[in-house]
Amino acid sequence: MMRAIGLYAAQSRAAIRTSFSDRGNFAIQVGGMIVNDIFFLTLWVLFFAGFRSIGGWTLPDMALLFGLTMSVVGISGVFFGGYRDLAATLLRGELDALLTQPKGLISRLLARESIATAWGDLAGAVFVLGVFARLQVADIPALLLAIAAGTTVYVSAAISFASLAFWAAGARSFARDLTDFTLLFSSYPGSIYQGAVKTIAFTLLPAGFVVLAPMGMVRDPGLQTLALVVFGAVVYAAIAVGLFHLGVARYRRGASPSL
Amino acid sequence: MSAVITVKSLAKAYRYAKRRGGFFEAFSPEHVTVEAVAGVDFEVGKGERVAIIGPNGAGKSTTLKMLSGILEPSSGEATVLGLTPWKQRKALAYRIGVVFGQRSQLWGELPARESFALLRHIYDQEAAPFAKRLGELTERFALAELLDQPVHRMSLGQRMRCEITASLLHGPNLLFLDEPTIGLDVTAKAAIRDFIREHARDHGQTVLLTSHDTRDIELVCDRVIVVNQGRIVVDQPTDQLRRRFLGRKIITFQSAGQGVSLNLPGVTRRASEAHATILEVDTRLTRVEQVIAAALADGGIEDVTIEDPPMEEVIAEIYASTHAA
Repeated sequence: MMRAIGLYAAQSRAAIRTSFSDRGNFAIQVGGMIVNDIFFLTLWVLFFAGFRSIGGWTLPDMALLFGLTMSVVGISGVFFGGYRDLAATLLRGELDALLTQPKGLISRLLARESIATAWGDLAGAVFVLGVFARLQVADIPALLLAIAAGTTVYVSAAISFASLAFWAAGARSFARDLTDFTLLFSSYPGSIYQGAVKTIAFTLLPAGFVVLAPMGMVRDPGLQTLALVVFGAVVYAAIAVGLFHLGVARYRRGASPSL
Repeated sequence: MSAVITVKSLAKAYRYAKRRGGFFEAFSPEHVTVEAVAGVDFEVGKGERVAIIGPNGAGKSTTLKMLSGILEPSSGEATVLGLTPWKQRKALAYRIGVVFGQRSQLWGELPARESFALLRHIYDQEAAPFAKRLGELTERFALAELLDQPVHRMSLGQRMRCEITASLLHGPNLLFLDEPTIGLDVTAKAAIRDFIREHARDHGQTVLLTSHDTRDIELVCDRVIVVNQGRIVVDQPTDQLRRRFLGRKIITFQSAGQGVSLNLPGVTRRASEAHATILEVDTRLTRVEQVIAAALADGGIEDVTIEDPPMEEVIAEIYASTHAA
């Protein structure tokens, strides 16, 4: 286990160094993402200046949601950046080289890339959570747990969608679209989702478990919320690992479209 | 010689959906099964350097992928270093090195040295023996100036030297090479071939390679397995293969004046250059020494070269004979 963590850390360090290698490009990408996040946040600030609240949500709630989303995307991008183009990686047949090596496949695929713009999300998250979310020091453990659970669900969802590439060549684009939809659904107040849309947001697209449920850990901590968040993270991680390995088995039988 | 690889009736069939014309037909594709490897049998002994050659789609890479544990066969058996590759993939991975000519196991943006350091973690290697092995390979492959250079800035030949080094760092007993010289220039190809041959010979390492380049086979391997349409057509030592399929020699005469003109049975003139006459001799009809004696009697000869026909011709003849059969 310690060796696996050591290998992941070594690969992740290498991927981060790679994302830094072109400093000019790195600065532009990070800066661009910060500007993008500030623009989005400004829209919400102006919105709440006029309406005060929507469905019981106020600016600090929205800032918490926004900050959690940016944290999840930031951590996923910096430390598990391979999730972003995973379907394309699988379809290019890059699994072959990994299959001739003795270590786990998912960790190798996730650690192979670190996304420069994700640093911009992380910087934005610290600013938004620190300035607008009205958090107390006592909220920090719950906040960290919420980010960890949300990141687990988000990366697991991306792995599950990308694993469809083992069955359909078209997954190259729709896996990314589904991951983006998950994020989009995560970016709005939970109170706007009702009925079938809410069911989708908490099942097929696990948007509810990326940010909305983990948010409850911070705003309304309790055993029930904790159980729901942990349950969501464990279930989606299990689905991702199961689906990926089913796909790998199919690939190794020679039935995958990438062969 | 103990067998490192044993293959019995190994077969692999791919099933894929064939699209048909029309909108509604797109929802009910026709499924087609292609037999990539159709039941092959062979053994490779310790220290042997064996080439699997054949045209595109012959089943070379599929065979290599099954033996390295990437693919599961449709039927048949294989053991590699005493393990079943597709069932004991991870255990086998510690004992084999694999190079795909068109894929990379290195991190493109990182200096080669850092990729090698990551491979030490991947293969659970102790630092000291790993550093010693890297030092030896660096010296042998003249990599010192490349180690701190990002891989994506290297030429293809430099990158391939690093790829092969990467595949050897954990000290594998067996090396699989899939088209190791593809896309390289003549000098880079020569360097790769010399290295593979000498490293394998010095370390008693077994090598199984696939290639389209017949010089890879002639200069690296001592045995050739020719596959076509998923079946083994020929399995012979390289020299024997050449003798069996072409009882011919290529003799080049360098002369100061007019070219050599001989009228002997089984001797034909190939496209010749100024002051060089290239003759193809069917040794079953006329012996080499008879040709040379006749040319010397003709006068003006400054130099003579006797060569075997290029492997391309050997393989073309094998394919022609198997198709005719």
